Amino acid sequence: MTQYSEDEAWTDVEPLPQDDGGAHPLAAIAYTDEYNEAMSYLRAIMAKNEMSERALDLTEHIISMNPAHYTVWLYRAKALFAINASLHEEIAWLNPTALKHLKNYQIWHHRQTIVDKLDSAEGEIAFISRMFEADAKNYHVWSYRQWLVRRFDLWDKGELESTEEMLKTDIRNNSAWNHRWFVVFGRDDKVIEDQQILNREIDYVKAAIYMAPQNQSPWNYLRGLLRCAKLPASTMKDFALEFASLDKPDEVYSSHALDLLADVYVEEGNAKEQAAEALDLLAKKYDPIRANYWNYRKSLLDQPNVVA
Amino acid sequence: MSLVSGPGRGGMTDARLPRELRLFVDKHVSYIQSLDTRKDELEYWLTEHLRMNGLYWGLTALHLLGHPDALPRNEMLDFVLSCMHESGGFGAAPGHDAHMLYTVSSVQILATLDAFDDLEERVKGGRQKIGHYIASLQNPATGTFAGDEWGETDTRFLYCALNALSLLGLLGLIDVDKAVEYIQSCQNFDGGYGNRPEAESHSGQIFTCLAALSIAGRLDVVESDRLGAWLSERQLKNGGLNGRPEKKEDVCYSWWVASSLAMIGKLHWIDGDRLASFILNCQDPDGGGIADRPGDMVDVFHTFFGLAGLSLLKYPGMVEIDPVYCMPLAITKRILEKPDVNS
Repeated sequence: MTQYSEDEAWTDVEPLPQDDGGAHPLAAIAYTDEYNEAMSYLRAIMAKNEMSERALDLTEHIISMNPAHYTVWLYRAKALFAINASLHEEIAWLNPTALKHLKNYQIWHHRQTIVDKLDSAEGEIAFISRMFEADAKNYHVWSYRQWLVRRFDLWDKGELESTEEMLKTDIRNNSAWNHRWFVVFGRDDKVIEDQQILNREIDYVKAAIYMAPQNQSPWNYLRGLLRCAKLPASTMKDFALEFASLDKPDEVYSSHALDLLADVYVEEGNAKEQAAEALDLLAKKYDPIRANYWNYRKSLLDQPNVVA
Repeated sequence: MSLVSGPGRGGMTDARLPRELRLFVDKHVSYIQSLDTRKDELEYWLTEHLRMNGLYWGLTALHLLGHPDALPRNEMLDFVLSCMHESGGFGAAPGHDAHMLYTVSSVQILATLDAFDDLEERVKGGRQKIGHYIASLQNPATGTFAGDEWGETDTRFLYCALNALSLLGLLGLIDVDKAVEYIQSCQNFDGGYGNRPEAESHSGQIFTCLAALSIAGRLDVVESDRLGAWLSERQLKNGGLNGRPEKKEDVCYSWWVASSLAMIGKLHWIDGDRLASFILNCQDPDGGGIADRPGDMVDVFHTFFGLAGLSLLKYPGMVEIDPVYCMPLAITKRILEKPDVNS
């Protein structure tokens, strides 16, 4: 490994050790030495605000050891722009670095800064797919993807299809469900008024619930659709009854269906007893850990015209 | 404060049973005290970018455990002030760039140490400087906040700003109404909130949004029944909480979810006893510290948020925590109830 103190390219730099106020390591292992030496050179060139190729090399070395060091990323970005370094090369380096450090998030803001400057999203969605193969619920990657869609107007460029592919792989991926909502409804407030799209979404979400009736995500999605399209819960009564019925209290396949049914009965006005029964089943049998929540819902039944 | 994980693991193994399920206060105190002696480990250096947060976690944990003086006050003060920049922002450690995340931790530490006067003594106009640094990060058009000059925005940073500015008595420096509007724009179809408009609902982000709204005095904009339902759904059969639907439980959500529920008055919607048992089962009963879940390495982050969760659940003997500020309630009361603050 590089030893900066023995490297000719660095002889003009006097390393600046960290003054952390404490004693120096007693039993420093070699890797610690390597890291601390590199950091002492970084401090030295940062003190002079040096913008150079070797600054990029040094930051690359440090990031390979510690990608979470945000100051290093900021300095690297400044240096990249200052010396007009190739941003395509930067992306080519970022790809394996991101795949190696899956949990790191500093890298995503850096990438956004670079791609924004490049003014091109070429290859980005493909790379994101590779990230998702390793972690399909990475919050920062999804956030970055939303930025890409907005920044480069990718709404109709295969987003819905690729999100569907992800849900095929894992129907419980809540991030993918959220992205679907974003892609379908995020562009324009008026989309929810499009009956054709609304029906398509309702069909899609129903099919997903058949695959995994206890899956929270599509039920939340369905509730969101009803709410935004101002449809009453009772439009889903028959559907909910396929998974839960008060006639068969021992054969409930989805607590979420029972929850929806409780709202349906409230809407029907003359069925408060049934609503109470559904909520009781949830509190006592199907979701007792949240008994207080279900009991609260039950207490609302005594108030006029309230749907929780 | 080191953020090195381990050396111990959380979890009561069979061999140790039957052991009474209780909080090992002394073990946790000495675990936290020992953290800064681990400079021979690489991870100590690799986690330098979190040092300021780590100090806040460690110090606050000690307060919750009833050992507020277990770390040396002067050394902490020196460290915090050595991370302050001319701009008024704070870095994670000396030589690190200033960022909102470390600035709020610094202000919280100064508040906890009752050191605002020390700040003024050592940095003339320090309070105003910090306030102006934070205020400069607000986007006047959208109301949200960047983390630093590079412009990444996140509802976390917005909360940090309101937290620190209110402690400093300087909320007047920013457009609070705009910030509230921004939070409202982050509400999703499922009732939760994300880090930006239309980003996935996430318990951590919900905490930041609700706490910011609490500080702004605008919890009225929250649909608390719907949000409370989503939050309470985070509890799994083992008693632990997850951060998003269909994710694993993690001790840190004992704080993000439970504090959010507390802020909207719905903490009783989850099973507090089961949650407390889950947290207690993540302790290392020998070396101290708490892990994310039983069997994993302990670390100061999960130690703190586990303790914070227990405090919120009113675990016997613990000091009460403020769900909005994530600091001891007696301390936020002392600061916020001063007549000259926020006037």
